[in-house]
Amino acid sequence: MNLVKANNLTLAYNSGVIIKESTFTINEGDFVFLTGVSGSGKTTLIKAMYGEIKPKGLLQIGPYNMGTISKSKLTKLRRHMGIVFQDYKLIPEWNILRNVMLPLFIKGYDKKIAEQKALEVLKKVKLSHKIDKFPAELSGGEQQRAAIARAIIHSPAIILADEPISGLDEYSASLVMDLFIMANKMGITVLIASHSLPGDFNISYKHLHIEKGKIYELS
Amino acid sequence: MNYLKSHITLILALVSILLSIFLFRIFNKILFLYEKNIVNNYSIVIVSTSKIENLNYPEIEKITPIDIKDQIQRLQQKYKNIDFSKIDLPYFYKLTLKKLPSPKKLEKLKERLKQKAFVKRILTHSSSQTKIYNLLMLLKILTKMFMVIVGVLGFLLIVKQLEVWKLSHSERMYIMELFGAPFWLKGAALFKIAILDSLIAIILTVSFVYFITNSFLFTKIISDLNIILQIDYIKEFLLLLVISFSISLISSIIVVVSKK
Repeated sequence: MNLVKANNLTLAYNSGVIIKESTFTINEGDFVFLTGVSGSGKTTLIKAMYGEIKPKGLLQIGPYNMGTISKSKLTKLRRHMGIVFQDYKLIPEWNILRNVMLPLFIKGYDKKIAEQKALEVLKKVKLSHKIDKFPAELSGGEQQRAAIARAIIHSPAIILADEPISGLDEYSASLVMDLFIMANKMGITVLIASHSLPGDFNISYKHLHIEKGKIYELS
Repeated sequence: MNYLKSHITLILALVSILLSIFLFRIFNKILFLYEKNIVNNYSIVIVSTSKIENLNYPEIEKITPIDIKDQIQRLQQKYKNIDFSKIDLPYFYKLTLKKLPSPKKLEKLKERLKQKAFVKRILTHSSSQTKIYNLLMLLKILTKMFMVIVGVLGFLLIVKQLEVWKLSHSERMYIMELFGAPFWLKGAALFKIAILDSLIAIILTVSFVYFITNSFLFTKIISDLNIILQIDYIKEFLLLLVISFSISLISSIIVVVSKK
């Protein structure tokens, strides 16, 4: 079943068109790599998927048309998404535990239950010993793992990750990829934007590639 | 120290606004009571050829005949060769007004009274009345100006605080928005600050106000003015509380709403 459906999708800023008349689909439970060179439009597509940019043409996420979605529905939709940013976007004045608990606060979880779940997820991302630290006190890899913990804690329908391993050392990058695989095995659809495909990757995935403003579905 | 820095601007702004509102209300009350005192003590005297029951002028509170028996007796003792009882003496009346008239209104009233055929003479004591009136008006204008100036300064401080809040809270609110946080959760931290600062501002203002209004100097001035000033502290506290909460919560809502 289609979770994301794009038909004649065009994305543009005032400065010009980034993605033009592209068509693709992502099914529930898919593991998707979105590749393309720098500035090709990977971040723009992800932004359109979480409603930061209004698309032209059809971009449907679940039951919502992102071109016409209302602010309140967008807020609801985002509660079913887990977003991982290249710059992590952790709240600097909150410690790691609280940052990871954020999606559960938003969903209205009881503080104790949220804390329990956050501790479990932080154990999975190997950050149990850093729960009281603030983002600035962690390395890039650790911050990215905390961001992934935040993205998966509420079992979203889809994780959108924008260049999650760029700038990370080999160990952190491999750990981060394992986390995405684990999330996908839990049934979460994962979309990872990256310059290129990872060298050794042993689960089946879908490959979307952006070139000259067009998105191609590669086998 | 950081806590103080981030809170001092809003607290200062709120205290200045609340104080200006409170002082404005108290000054107005004092002026009103003082004006009432003056009006009670002020009257126009008219000399009439006939008896007057009622003048039906909206600005006149009451008309009271002046008993001149004592004066006649004194005159009679002084001028024994004149029989005052045979002289057709005019009637004297004291007109008490509803409120202190401006010199212009007083002059108009005088003109209207003059047009009555039975009115022979009018004594308005306009010179001293004008001085008092002008002094009162000056005080009223000064209190209004004081309130406006302090209010504007408070408003500017709040605008500055809004800018600071926008800068320091925008990142957190943006991240929360990306994860679908509702409005109240995005602004929760700001709302907490707003409520806390409002409470601090209220405590400071009410303490200051209580100290001032119970000070020796203030009570002496009130007593010298010969007025009884009753301040309902609970009512004033509740009013200031509502104003304080409204200003700080509206400010924080503006920050949450205007976040891009």
